[in-house]
Amino acid sequence: MAAAAIHQFAECITCHAWSPDHSMIAFCPNNNEVHIYKFFTDKWEKLHVLSKHDQIVSGIDWSRSSNKIVTVSHDRNSYVWTQEGHDWVPTLVILKVNRAALCVQWSPKENKFAVGSGAKSVCICYYEQDNNWWISKVVRKKHESSVTSVAWHPNNILLATTSTDGKCRVLSTFIKGVDTRGSHASTSTDWKFGEQIAQLDLSSMWAFGVRWSPSGKTLAYAGHNSMIYFIDDVETSPAAQNLALRDLPLRDILFLSERTVIGVGFDCNPMIFSADETGLWSFVRYLDERKVTTSTSRASQLSEAFGKLYGQSKQVASSDTVEPSKPRGGVHENCITCIVPLRKGNDSIVKRFSTSGLDGKIVVWDAENHIDIKK
Amino acid sequence: MANTLRLYLTCIRNTLEAAMCLQNFPCQEVERHNKPEVELKTSPELLLNPVLICRNEAEKCLIETSINSIRISMKVKQADELENILAKKFLRFLSMRAEAFQVLRRKPVQGYDISFLITNYHCEDMHKHKLIDFIVQFMEDIDKEISELKLSVNTRGRLVATEFLKQFI
Repeated sequence: MAAAAIHQFAECITCHAWSPDHSMIAFCPNNNEVHIYKFFTDKWEKLHVLSKHDQIVSGIDWSRSSNKIVTVSHDRNSYVWTQEGHDWVPTLVILKVNRAALCVQWSPKENKFAVGSGAKSVCICYYEQDNNWWISKVVRKKHESSVTSVAWHPNNILLATTSTDGKCRVLSTFIKGVDTRGSHASTSTDWKFGEQIAQLDLSSMWAFGVRWSPSGKTLAYAGHNSMIYFIDDVETSPAAQNLALRDLPLRDILFLSERTVIGVGFDCNPMIFSADETGLWSFVRYLDERKVTTSTSRASQLSEAFGKLYGQSKQVASSDTVEPSKPRGGVHENCITCIVPLRKGNDSIVKRFSTSGLDGKIVVWDAENHIDIKK
Repeated sequence: MANTLRLYLTCIRNTLEAAMCLQNFPCQEVERHNKPEVELKTSPELLLNPVLICRNEAEKCLIETSINSIRISMKVKQADELENILAKKFLRFLSMRAEAFQVLRRKPVQGYDISFLITNYHCEDMHKHKLIDFIVQFMEDIDKEISELKLSVNTRGRLVATEFLKQFI
């Protein structure tokens, strides 16, 4: 089994993030709090509880070099937490959106972060030194529905978003005074803030979990129609590949390298995808080998309750009893909603990653000896 | 007969298996709200095509799906007036106790006898496969339950009639 460690932290986890040195983990136990745990020699101990939000926290990201945590919540607000001594000090970021914030990600240079929201818009936030304040610039009227996921291109300018209108968009987030003209590749001259570079209309259903490959050459996202899409050269001449899955849809994906992708979702088991020499993507296998479980005919708690209510005289042993369905997955028992890489230094290949799901487990996976990672 | 019921239930089970991919999703229209989209139907892009599974004209099951909730409505076989009244009373009895079932809706969707509403919160608390088992088990039992009730009503009717007519002998 490729799972290196399994931790049951809560009943249900919406999202999680690791500290730069991977000794601490921040996660939301499906409520308005963010818990930070630290690993001491043999066990995890709760260090901090960040409770500033008043609705469920939907996104956490921990910056790698500046050691800041950004959290967003359904209460429309975002906080940037900085460590001062032992405590975490929050700074409120007014997002200027009037609906829930759904996802957040630090830009590669960590001078900006992007928030996707249910107000059909994306906020790009940056720090203004003069006012000691985080400013939010909103990209409006580009999305036709909630923005479910955001991903930064390594050049710190391009931002990919997926939305429940089924489209994946690539936007420019150039902000004067924050980004310099020379910083983005010379392919395109001047993209203005909020300009739409590309709109990918491949999925007929809600799109989730957009990610760039480490070099920024390939873009991938998942559709709720059990498809995964790979797009090469988005800025210049996009070439798309669609891959239909046999099982339930994906929620989030992660590039381990240029040519290896892990997808997680409702199937409760991470899937491995890889590209061959010609760049053709295909499904390889499930990461967690499925065990053949013997089906025991236990009545569910609900049917028991049901039985109690209307008398337990019923004998259901007729020939037309339908086989009870089997639980899905292996290590995870419910939908996996979040996958986070555990990067070491500047290694472009991710060798370890962690997943969290609605079953409240955080599983650390060791990919190195179990997956053939193609460069 | 038994075979067709199995096919019908297997079809429902497989459809539910695929349809029950729910997630927490806040309302797009109203600030700081989080409501089952399948009930509000405010954003058409958040709804999926409903699936109607019919065994025959009298027995059907409608599965409506949205991003954070799924509604399952069913129509129970009612061959005659007695079955009709028994089904109505029995399902009313259950609907009045909807809280005890968690996933039961207090009122059925128009044109159906009983409705279930499953939201992402139910999927977080309960195992998905158990929820599906419950729905299928329910559908399996409901027919049996009603024909059993019908039998006992008939038996009782016959007994009462016999007792009543005894006085004329």
